[in-house]
Amino acid sequence: MYWARERETSDAGGHIHYSPHQSLRLRERPSNSAVQRPPQFNWNTDQPEEGAKGRPRNLKELPLPMELKKAIRQVQQMKVPVMSNWQSWKISKSKTMKRFLEESREVLAYVAPWRRTLHKIGGHFGGGVQSYFLFLRFLVVLNFLSFLLIAGFVLAPSIVFQSSPGNSETQNSIDRTECMIYSPEPQSLSVFYQYFLDLLTGMGFMEYSYLFYGFYNNTEMMNTQVSYNIPVAYLLTTAFYFIFCLICIVLRMGAVIRDVVKTGGGAVGGYSTLVFTAWDYGLQGNRATNLKQNNIRYQLQMDLEEERIRKVAASLTMAQTMGLYSLRAVLNLVVFGLIGGAFYAIFKATQFSQSQTGDNFLHLIVQYLPSIVITAANFLVPFLCDKIALLEKHSPSTTVILALLRAVFLRLVSLGVLLFTLWSGITCNGVTENTACSVCQYNHKQYQCWETRVGQEMYKLAVFDFITVIAVMILVEFPRRMLVDHCPCKLAQFVGRQEFVVPQNVLGLVYGQTVVWTGALFCPLLPAINTIKFIIIFYCRKITLFQNCRPADRTFRSNSSNFFFLLVLLLGWSLATVALIYAAVMIHPSMSCGPFRFLSMMWSVVPDSLQTLSNSSRDFLYFMGSQAFCIPLFVSLCVVLCYIAALASVYGKTVSLLRSQLKMEGRDKQFLVKKIKELNSANRRNCEAWNPTSRDSFGTK
Amino acid sequence: MGTTASQLPKDLLSEYQELTFLTKQEILLAHKRFTELLARDDRNCPNPRVPMSRILTLPELKSNPFKERICLVFSTSDNKDGSLTFEDFLDLLSAFSDSATSDIKSHYAFRIFDFDDDGTLDRKDLERLVNCLTGDTDETRLTSDEMKQLINNILEESDIDKDGTVNLSEFQHVISRSPDFVSSFKIVL
Repeated sequence: MYWARERETSDAGGHIHYSPHQSLRLRERPSNSAVQRPPQFNWNTDQPEEGAKGRPRNLKELPLPMELKKAIRQVQQMKVPVMSNWQSWKISKSKTMKRFLEESREVLAYVAPWRRTLHKIGGHFGGGVQSYFLFLRFLVVLNFLSFLLIAGFVLAPSIVFQSSPGNSETQNSIDRTECMIYSPEPQSLSVFYQYFLDLLTGMGFMEYSYLFYGFYNNTEMMNTQVSYNIPVAYLLTTAFYFIFCLICIVLRMGAVIRDVVKTGGGAVGGYSTLVFTAWDYGLQGNRATNLKQNNIRYQLQMDLEEERIRKVAASLTMAQTMGLYSLRAVLNLVVFGLIGGAFYAIFKATQFSQSQTGDNFLHLIVQYLPSIVITAANFLVPFLCDKIALLEKHSPSTTVILALLRAVFLRLVSLGVLLFTLWSGITCNGVTENTACSVCQYNHKQYQCWETRVGQEMYKLAVFDFITVIAVMILVEFPRRMLVDHCPCKLAQFVGRQEFVVPQNVLGLVYGQTVVWTGALFCPLLPAINTIKFIIIFYCRKITLFQNCRPADRTFRSNSSNFFFLLVLLLGWSLATVALIYAAVMIHPSMSCGPFRFLSMMWSVVPDSLQTLSNSSRDFLYFMGSQAFCIPLFVSLCVVLCYIAALASVYGKTVSLLRSQLKMEGRDKQFLVKKIKELNSANRRNCEAWNPTSRDSFGTK
Repeated sequence: MGTTASQLPKDLLSEYQELTFLTKQEILLAHKRFTELLARDDRNCPNPRVPMSRILTLPELKSNPFKERICLVFSTSDNKDGSLTFEDFLDLLSAFSDSATSDIKSHYAFRIFDFDDDGTLDRKDLERLVNCLTGDTDETRLTSDEMKQLINNILEESDIDKDGTVNLSEFQHVISRSPDFVSSFKIVL
């Protein structure tokens, strides 16, 4: 049975028109009438240009069964509008464009990897867990494309031009020979596990290879047909890699932001939002459905309970609230103290490990000390913070957000502390008059090739992160599940099966990606290594999800959390960008290795090569950088920003105006209903007074 | 329009593409799954109808608590038995597809939740809705106190004109505030 709505306008093609009287009468005799009342459709189409553009979309958006839509379409097609040649050409072009876009979207969806797996995961565990795997897939594709970029512009030319005879290296213009010593010692395999150790630390045979910065030369290929400047390519490719990643992230955020802004930040919904939107129709299987139903029931009961508790808490006395706030302040100080302690531990560990050299297994542990300390801190401190948060007595949603913020802060800033420690070691805390740094502008005794060392640190972080994931899966998750499944003791039942906690896992991915970005300048093959690492992690997580985990008790909202993940990824990106810019501009490149060895600053290779361009392109580039261009550009961007802000505020006011209009129409409707009832009863009384034996067709009411 | 046993004619395919939100692949897949559901002798009928009991054997619908309501809403049969023709099936998949607009989805969601088909969600509809969401057995239902508190809260939040029921506009207003609805109101074969 179809019914009418109050008011509905559509501005293209057909005009749907509902009469309000029908709904009032329906209210009079609910569910007694079996009369089919289709919505009335205005068959007079006017404005053919807009109609043609909106017509295909309009038909899809009609909530009518197929037969009616076909009938409407036939009528629309019979009315051939009188159009000029230009309009009909425009319409056919827009139709082909639309069809092309649809086909390309289909192809893209077909080509995207792991489509079936993601569908299955969404069906069994819900949208929140699926969003983690979608994020992981996005990072895999991003890393793979970056690897292609770097391989095409830096790796392949280096390999090709290494062996061709036409290259020229710029002559040595610096006569400080002690700065030019670099012996990466590719030893012969003296001990059989040396190979394995070198693989893990990035030293030995791996150090002087395409993996690290130190191997690349400042070759400048100058043939008659082709000229290729490797240093410029190296630096600019890294810059483009960062910009490419930024564009991908922003594009992906764009779609998510639209939803978040439209719904006003996606406020943690009230009961009606929960009841109307909670069900996930993609779930399949009785087990998943039962779990979801338990989930919803748990959430409803918790919310109702929280409301009752809040009513009690609102009646707390002044003294009790003061006590609560002071307790929270003290606990926040404790949390900051823990985080500060972790940073100090990372600082000390990095300093110690950088100053040690050696060859045995103990030395391997020392090499990995920063990674171990960072991982341990990132495990312990959030765990302790969770326990402390229980005492803070916030509402559950606030607790989750606080825990996430603390974890993000810890992860990203601990990486920053590591970078800071490295920097202070390399540049002697920025003091170049210090004896260790006065000769070569950097600490050449400890760091013969400092870029390779930084690259090695990032490589070790990435490798250790990967090893941790595998080790936790094998040593913790599988035994836990076997224990819970086969041991009847009470402890096992209390602990229960592993829960797939989405936020912590996503933070781990963001951390891994930030490490790759920071190390990209110094270890060009790191994106390729990361692609393989993330692919293996995808399969490992999938296996552990299906074998060991049960779905989380608390649903994780997919859309608003997607935005949060991308925001954190953007934070990591900015940290890496700051590190990159600082390294390229402020620190003197090593004189013994790398493509920038005879320059005082990595960036100076770009202005130098600009000199070799032709006059007109040079003038054009200078103009783009000059004030005459930049200031008007900046001013016009400000104007555009003001316009968009004004537009946004106008839309916000329109939304609130429409909302209050909705309320008023409801009241009008009630008033009219009352009036109609009164008139009807007055009418009936009159009729019965004149003719007591008649009964009206509406029956008794 | 009848569908022949194994192939969809090309003009029908493009018409369906224009009238629904489904892509060509999705329409062909739907056709394949629909013909599998038909009884053998029905396959050559001009416009076959699949009874509700067979539709509910689809794995995507089998454990959905709203499965009967979904069939009843999209069915165009005269005796309201929830049986679907191929075009009803396409309408169903179109409303639940990836690219359907929020308007269409909220419209059909409202009709699915309206258990007594009277055009509004009153207290009884809301109670049956909550029972579907939490599971309709004795252990899984909310207590009557909790149910009363919950429905009072729902009506207070969403009933703008204070008539004791939630109509379509109020329902769509609530839906528009939730960013997750469009991604969860999805069934993909």
